[in-house]
Order: sequence, then structure tokens, then C-alpha cells
Amino acid sequence: MSIEEKVKELVIEWNEEELKELCRNTLEAKEATPAELLKIIGKVMQFIGKQFEDEEIFLPDLVGSANVVKNTIDEILDPAIKASGESKETLGKIVIGTVEGDVHSIGKDLVGSFLFSNGFEIFNLGEEVPASKFVDKAEEVDAQIIGLSSLLTMSMGFQREVIEELKNRGLRNKYKVILGGSPTSNEWAEEIGADGWADDAIEAVTLVKKLLGVDH
Amino acid sequence: MKLKRIEFLSKDEVQAIHSSTIEILSRVGIKVDSPSARNTFKDYGAEVNDHELFIKIPESLIKEKLSTVPESFKLHGPDGTFNFEVNTTSTQFATIGTPVKIYDPSKKGGVRKTVLDDTIKQIRVVDSLKNINCSHIDVWPNDVNYLSLHAHCIYQWVHNTRKPYGLGCFGRLASQDMMNMASIIVGSEKELIDNPRFVGFMNPTSPLHLPQLMTNGLEIFAKYKQPTIIAPEALAGTTAPVTLAGLLTQINAEIIGGIVLSQLFNSGAPVFFGTVSTITDMKSGNAALGSIETGIITAAIAQLARFYNIPSRGPGGITDSKVLDVQCGFERLQTLLVATQAGVNYITCAGTYEETLVEALELLVIDDELVDIVKRLIEGINVNKETLALDVIKNVATNPKKGVNYLSEVHTRKFMRKELYIPKLIDRNRRSTWRKKGSKDIINRARDKVEQILQSFKPLNVDMEIEKELLDYIKKVDKRILDDYKKAEGISTGTVSLPGTDITVKDN
Repeated sequence: MSIEEKVKELVIEWNEEELKELCRNTLEAKEATPAELLKIIGKVMQFIGKQFEDEEIFLPDLVGSANVVKNTIDEILDPAIKASGESKETLGKIVIGTVEGDVHSIGKDLVGSFLFSNGFEIFNLGEEVPASKFVDKAEEVDAQIIGLSSLLTMSMGFQREVIEELKNRGLRNKYKVILGGSPTSNEWAEEIGADGWADDAIEAVTLVKKLLGVDH
Repeated sequence: MKLKRIEFLSKDEVQAIHSSTIEILSRVGIKVDSPSARNTFKDYGAEVNDHELFIKIPESLIKEKLSTVPESFKLHGPDGTFNFEVNTTSTQFATIGTPVKIYDPSKKGGVRKTVLDDTIKQIRVVDSLKNINCSHIDVWPNDVNYLSLHAHCIYQWVHNTRKPYGLGCFGRLASQDMMNMASIIVGSEKELIDNPRFVGFMNPTSPLHLPQLMTNGLEIFAKYKQPTIIAPEALAGTTAPVTLAGLLTQINAEIIGGIVLSQLFNSGAPVFFGTVSTITDMKSGNAALGSIETGIITAAIAQLARFYNIPSRGPGGITDSKVLDVQCGFERLQTLLVATQAGVNYITCAGTYEETLVEALELLVIDDELVDIVKRLIEGINVNKETLALDVIKNVATNPKKGVNYLSEVHTRKFMRKELYIPKLIDRNRRSTWRKKGSKDIINRARDKVEQILQSFKPLNVDMEIEKELLDYIKKVDKRILDDYKKAEGISTGTVSLPGTDITVKDN
């Protein structure tokens, strides 16, 4: 069985411990570099993402696999890449979060998982995130996109606040801001001067790729 | 015989869920954000962890506080001439959403944002309906500043209906405003407390979390004895276990946690036991409110509520459809049917579609008729000497005259209206007749009825003194900024006094 086939099997089975073990052993035996291993994992996540899009698998399968992969990357591969001095290939960095006054997380986490499975690096700030924190994080990690989720009519106004915060700091043109969440819409995104709006995780990937000029 | 109530849980299964709930509340606990609410629990013997914000409620306290919950209560309209009782045996029907859009076939996509005019129309339509007894601030007026929206809606309530009203328990300040304005309308705080006007909606966040805004609002609603629905909206597979038994255990714990708190705030405060919990659609991640599982969960909640002898609440007439199509039709009927057959005491969500995000006044009048249809189902078959109709059969069948039938029999006239549901909106005409009447579908016929209701509506008289006091109050509310609310809820620095009370809320 090739490394890619083994990785695929472990990711689909949510076998985090064995996946980490496989990565450690592969790196120790120098059968692949950390960046090469990351690329293999990326392909596996893309495959899983396509299965989800085609409705062959469902949300728990996608999210469970994404979590296993994320933990493995965070704990084994990212440190190894840093230590080796290799550059980490990523299609782009995206800061996401649910805005202030809103505790909803699932839709935003799904978008994060799906973007991640499509090769983007995600910084998920969680929920009830104040405007300043979005901007601080984007600056810290040198992101390209800030994604804002709002599921309450009453928290939508905080999406506007993030855009105002960027303007106040003279950073508006540095980042693309995208919106999502049930009460939001394309019209709302236009009204507050966001760069785009996506209705679901699949649309989010298309939007992000378009904004960053990445081939779909 | 009338239709037997449907049940999905045996006595042992109800007990198993109850025991698991006690295990959760007493050993795992429930997260309570508000320090003052945690202190309230602590004062009554709960174990409180102020670091992790979890409180554990001992079984003895749960048992004691569930015993003080009223089995029944009445809700009244502004002037009290219209009122109805909620108890553990009958079923009432109401609206809720909260719709932020409304059906408008003249617009692209067939929907547009709701505005205050829609809120007013919905209140007026509900006022005229036979079966829908209560509306709440559920058609969201997007053109009103959300910081004073509640005040404007209460003003519209008193001008447009004789029926009760309600709102989410969204914090101390907004809830106190509602009580103050209602006290102006009904004459005094005492009258409001003795004869409640509002249904409150207190929403735990699943899993196992009572948020600060909600417990703050609950405190006011409990103090004023306005019946409050403790209503988690858990989704199997995302915010609750994917197994329905696990979901029921969790929401049972959330509901009972909220109910215990309401009794600690004010012993004997009326509450409803219930929820709009459902499953997660595992393709989209959305709540699948129109699913068959919603009915199963709702029916089980009715059983659990009966176990605790508290009036239950659940959804009915809901759908995930984005259009007024066959899916919209069968999902609303399936959820309404199951909820009513299960004996839910307060069934909400009439008039909505797209997971209650969109309102259609046409659906509201249709739902009123669906309730009649479901009520007819529940009535079943009446079997006695008269209804067996032996003599009538003999007379008609053996009558020597040709063409004799039952139409002009006294028996038919006597029993027709009890035995046969005579619909208003449903069409059963021959095609030729239907064509002559304009070939209308039920949505168009419903629209005609809505227009008729709105055209014949007579605005209600409001005393000039009350009118002035309400408008002055609204002016005060209109001047507030977001920070005033944050301070009142204890989520910002500074202090603010709650209007109409001598309470000053300090920063936590």
C-alpha cells in the first residue's frame, strides 16, 4: 500500500493516532519530506471534499476527517516543516470566526473544514469574536481573507464593524472580507462593502478561489 | 372513539430519560454564564464552579422546584376580554418564527424583507382567526431600529388585537420595558401579574448552557409571572447526540435546568415545557424542521411534560421548503398532525416556511384551517344508537319513491356539522366550477381571505392617556444606545438602572 493509500484509509477511519505514527515514521525514515507529506494529506482531503460535494459522504465524515488531519498537521507536520526550513505550500490563509454577540459555530466550522480540505490554511477564532480580534489575527498570520459568520439578525451589524475596524486602521484594502450565515445575503454584503458572500461551504470555496485568483 | 394519543416512549423509557437527566444535572451540571444566576442556584444548595461556570443541581432541589410549577395558567389580551387557558390536557395553537422575510410573489425570488407593516398585518390576521390564539413578536420589522423594536411592537399589539402577545426573554432591560409598557396598557403591574399578557421564550444554548441574556430576561418574566417557554433548539448530530434518546435526555436537562431557575426566581412562576428541537440535515448542516423526526421529538416532549405535569410546547405546521409547494404542504401537515396527536399543549410556528425564517399570511390562514382538519381527525368516530342510524337506513333504503337519499333526512341535518368538517379554503368543486371561479389554487384563495380580513379590520380604541404614556415611553427607549443594554445585562462596564424599577444593575 502506498503512503497516500495508507493516509487515505486512516483519515477516513478517523484514526488520528495511527496517522500521526505513520507521519512520524515516514519522516524519520526520510521516505518523504514534511512538505511532501503535507501535499499527500492535502490530496486526500481534496478527495474527501469531492465525495462530500457529490453527496457520497456526509457532514460527520467530512468534519471528523478534517479534525484528524488538522491535529496531525498542527502536532507533527507544521513543527517538522518549520524545523526543516521548507516552505509550507498553501493556497491562502483565511481568518474565520463568528462575530460578537453570536455563539453559533457549526456553519462557520463547516466552511473552515471545507476550505481546509481544499488546501487553504484556516485560523478559526471561534465565536463572539470582537472586530479588533479579527484584524489582529489577520495581521499576525499575514492572512489574505477574513471570513465573518453571523446567524442572528441582531449580530449582523458586527460584520459591518469589522469592515469599519479595517478602515479605521487603514487596512481595508489589505484583506478581502467575506460573509456568511442565514440572515445574511449578497445584498447585505454589498450594503456594508464586503468583498463577497457565500451561501454554503461549497460556494465559499468557489468564492475564495475567485478572490485569490486560484484555479478552481 | 376519539383518536388515541400517539406515544413513542414506554413508561420505562420515560423513566430512563428522566434518570439520565438527573444524572446530567446533578453530576455533569449545566453552564450558567450569569454570576448572579449562579449565586441564586448556590443559595438553594446547588454546587457551583465559578471558574468553569458549571452548576450541579441536586436531585432533591430539582424535585422540590418542579413541584411548584403551575399545571395551568391563563393568557389574556390587552383589555382582557379575550383569554384562553393553557393546561396539561388541551391544545392551543400559536405563531412564532422568527420570520425575517415574507412571501411576496411580486419580488424576485418570491420573498422580501419583513417591515413593520407586515408585523401589524400579521397581528391583525391572527386576531381574526378561529384557532390561532396568540402571536408573538415573530414577524421581525427590519425597518425598525432593533434596539427599540420591542417597544414599537408592543405599541402595535395594543392597537391591533384583542389576543395575547410575547417575545424572547432577551435581557433584563428589554423584558422590563415590556412589563412597564404592558402595565401602562392594562392599568397596573398587579393586573399584569394577576392576569398575564405575554408568553416569554427563554432559549438555552445546546449543549447544556443557560446564556446570560436569557437568564436575565427569565428573571423579569418570572418576577411578573408571565408564562415562559423554556425552549432549547437542539439539533441531533450537531448540538445534541445524534440518537433521539440522547437528544431528549440533553434537552430535558436544559429545560428542567431553566424551569428550576424560574422557580428559584419566583416560586409558582408559570412555564411551558418545550422546545423546537429537531435533527441536523447531514448534507447541508441545516436544521431539518420539516422532518418526520421533528414530530417524533415533539411527541416525546409531550410525554415528558406529562410526566412532570407541566404544559408542553412544540412546533407544528413547519417546513424546510423555500416555496409554497407540495413539500411545504406535506411537511406542515405531518408536523402539525404528530404534535396534535401527541397532545402537545401549545403548538407554535403557524404561518411560516423555510425553517420559520419566512412568513406567509396566506399560510397563516391555511394553517388555521389545517388545525380544524386535525381537530376533526382527533374527534374520530362517534358510535352510539343514534349514529348507528339503523332506523334511518331502513327508512331510506326501503322507501318506495325513486331517487330517495339521505340529503333531506332530519338525521343528516342534525349530525352533518358534527360529523363532517366543512372546509373554507379547500377546493372540492368539479373542474368546470373551479374554472368558473377563476381556476385559483389554495394560495390564491388564501390571499383573498387575507385581503378580506385586512380590509374589514377595525382599529382598536386606545385610551388617550395610555396612548400618550406609551409614546413617551417609546421616545425614551428610542434614545438608548447598545452600550445601555450591555451595561444593564452586566456585559459591559458601568451601571444602569432598570426603568420603572428601583433596581440598579452593576457591572459584574
